[in-house]
Amino acid sequence: MDLSLSEEQQLLKQGVEDFVAREAPLEAVIELTDSELGYSPEHYARVAELGWLGAAIPEQYGGAGLGLTDAAVLFEAFGYAALPGPFISSGVVSALIVEEAGSEEQRAELLPRIASGQAIAVLALTERGYGWGPEGVHMRAASSNGDYVLDGDKLFVHDAIGATHFITAVRTGDDGALTLLVVDASAPGVSVRRLQGFTGSECVVRFEGVRVPASAALGDGGAVEHPLDRALTKAAPVLSAYQVGGGQAAFELAVDYSRERRQFGQPIGRFQHVQNHIIQLVNHVDASRWTTYEALWRHDSGKPGIEVASHLAKAVTSEGFVHAVNYSHEVHAGVGVMHEYGLTLYTTLSRSLYHQLGSPRYHRRRLADLLVDYDLGPDPLD
Amino acid sequence: MDFEPAYTPEQRAFRAEVRAWLDDHVPHVEGDQDSDENYAKYRQLGRDLGERGWLRPTAPVEYGGGGLSVDHAIVLAEEMDRHDLTSPPYYDSGGSLGGASILVWGSEEQKRRLLPPIFRGETVTWQLLTGPEAGSDLASTETDAMRDGDEYVINGTKVFIGGSHGADSFWTICRTDREGARHQNVSWFMIPSDLPGITVERMYLLSDGREGIGRGYKNTIYFDNARVPAENLVGGENNGWKVASTHLELEHGSGGRIARNVWFERTRDRLRSLPANGAHPLEDAETRGLLADLFMETEVQRLFELRNFWMNRTHQDMSYEGPQASYYRKMSGLRASQIMLELLGPYAQLNDAEFDPTGGRFDSYLRNAIVSLHPGGTADIQKVIMARRIGIGRGERERAGRTVE
Ligand SMILES: Cc1cc2nc3c(=O)[nH]c(=O)nc-3n(C[C@H](O)[C@H](O)[C@H](O)COP(=O)(O)OP(=O)(O)OC[C@H]3O[C@@H](n4cnc5c(N)ncnc54)[C@H](O)[C@@H]3O)c2cc1C
Repeated sequence: MDLSLSEEQQLLKQGVEDFVAREAPLEAVIELTDSELGYSPEHYARVAELGWLGAAIPEQYGGAGLGLTDAAVLFEAFGYAALPGPFISSGVVSALIVEEAGSEEQRAELLPRIASGQAIAVLALTERGYGWGPEGVHMRAASSNGDYVLDGDKLFVHDAIGATHFITAVRTGDDGALTLLVVDASAPGVSVRRLQGFTGSECVVRFEGVRVPASAALGDGGAVEHPLDRALTKAAPVLSAYQVGGGQAAFELAVDYSRERRQFGQPIGRFQHVQNHIIQLVNHVDASRWTTYEALWRHDSGKPGIEVASHLAKAVTSEGFVHAVNYSHEVHAGVGVMHEYGLTLYTTLSRSLYHQLGSPRYHRRRLADLLVDYDLGPDPLD
Repeated sequence: MDFEPAYTPEQRAFRAEVRAWLDDHVPHVEGDQDSDENYAKYRQLGRDLGERGWLRPTAPVEYGGGGLSVDHAIVLAEEMDRHDLTSPPYYDSGGSLGGASILVWGSEEQKRRLLPPIFRGETVTWQLLTGPEAGSDLASTETDAMRDGDEYVINGTKVFIGGSHGADSFWTICRTDREGARHQNVSWFMIPSDLPGITVERMYLLSDGREGIGRGYKNTIYFDNARVPAENLVGGENNGWKVASTHLELEHGSGGRIARNVWFERTRDRLRSLPANGAHPLEDAETRGLLADLFMETEVQRLFELRNFWMNRTHQDMSYEGPQASYYRKMSGLRASQIMLELLGPYAQLNDAEFDPTGGRFDSYLRNAIVSLHPGGTADIQKVIMARRIGIGRGERERAGRTVE
């Protein structure tokens, strides 16, 4: 047993941490998230150049061919900096979907462009009656002269602004088969609008009579439910790692503040109530961290229980991030809710990512279904 | 025991009068409740209420109040609540808090001069307590007021103050004796906001920034040699901590409230209106369970506030009940926001004309659940006060501040 990062992973971690400290200090990130695009295309290009965007994409398709854990190390550091951008949406979620569901030709065509940042592909699945898996997909794409025609809205689509492609989940044919259509964002009839609220990059993507050729469908015509599910199961703990990074930042901000801020003639960290907030906070961050790391390890080492571990990680982490931020707010009181201080970047992220790739409730349900017959494996002491 | 207020025939008649009047006078507003245009409408409602003595119904007539009984006040509060309004129907911390301190500690002359404009809704008043150096530890304020002839010269900074639309006067505690002992070195002032040397600068918080219900800006207030007439010092020099104990007590929740459990109702309504994905959300056992959780949170809170309202209005000795209600409101608000996030999914976060018919109500609730943890004393401070009042680990119980004359 060894729960530490490998030497390469530590180097990677150091490199990414240096990068975000240099390129994306909190003041800069506050400005970026307030901007229309919501992220920096220069950051995106740079991350692609460094080979990080395609970290988890196989080498033969232009990626770095690293494991999910390596990608998670990278994105945890991004989460720590609250770095915005479609890094995970395109480089991980969409890349995994193309890898799992696409034909060989589609993989060869799309993955290198995703890895190089030329293409920014985003999954458009959720609809008005929100649901995070195939069961939430009701939008139909009609067949017309060998093309598909899409009409309808996709809601709560993360990172849609600036995307070049939407991997759009629809129902086709008489049997309503789940189909993943790669739609060019610049195709006539496609429009994107950012949703307003306590939200991050969530958008509505609207399709009005959008025509795509039959070849836009991912795969060789076989069912795509399972490949999609496999891809999302893999992607979830990478997103969790980003949340862990955010929780870690909320923790460090709280600890630093508990030392600096004085009231009643002493550092506020001397008050047991304040200590308690930080203890609850770190418990949430660590619970998130270790469920996430174990899920990643299961994926990378081909262990059984991958699905259980993924659902566990995303459920624990989405909740944990929200609680971690709340506790950090309790420690900071007034200062923490000021826009310019930076903690609210994490607050907004914690709410926004709560639902991305499935809310805790969704994952708990899936977990419950799996646990009925779940085999915990051999006793390590036997 | 009777949890329902029993209404006398006189109250019933009064209710009919109030209801008809409010139906005529409550403005119709559209869009952002906090816009300049809508604010002006609510201000007018405040003035109209004040003219009739309905803004501060139980305050004495000679100070601009209504001179009415508690029974009348209850009816007024309930009828305002029917319109989703509090009284006054805009941000003003003068009437209920600062006004109460002046009633308890002011001289007869000060009551007659300072209170009528507040109680009649003619002016808006903000409380200036928190400074960058003094939050929870309010008594350590470093905003100074130094006597110079018939005036006090004020220097210092206050943060997290007020609302979006300005105020006519500020009240604050300042240090009047740099060498004096803690709690015996501060004084309480009413300050006209237009004095030379006062600057107001907007702050940007998690709770604002975009249009919608329940928004409001906070401000930083700078005093740079602002000169306040000495007649505006209330309760005597270096007696400010006692004066403050009155409004602090009220702000810590001892005033109580009678109101419907609106957030349970609003959440259930929103759930009904959500687009279904398969079975309707309300048919789902887990959803119903979460709704029951929300009901439990909000009902306990309602009952704490109801109890405090009853204790306060019947002049009973209060102990830890004020901070208890305040603590519970803060924490249950945070838990309720988490339940809403699960129950309504990402719709809870929206303030989006196309996909959220509520005008951003839940977005605002979610943000405010975090932001409201802090004003009027943090949740921790409420616990500290509760512990002192209960006498945890000490024989002597701290007494609650005086809130009535
Ligand atoms: C939306 C909003 C509106 C506000 N409106 C006003 C207003 O109108 N007027 C006004 O004057 N102020 C206002 N405030 C300020 C508010 O009263 C202060 O934020 C609050 O009193 C806490 O002070 P602080 O922010 O300096 O936190 P601090 O006092 O620095 O507290 C930091 C942390 O230390 C803890 N702590 C401090 N002392 C103790 C102790 N003795 N025991 C245990 N824990 C302790 C706190 O609980 C908190 O966790 C407002 C604040 C907000 C956010």
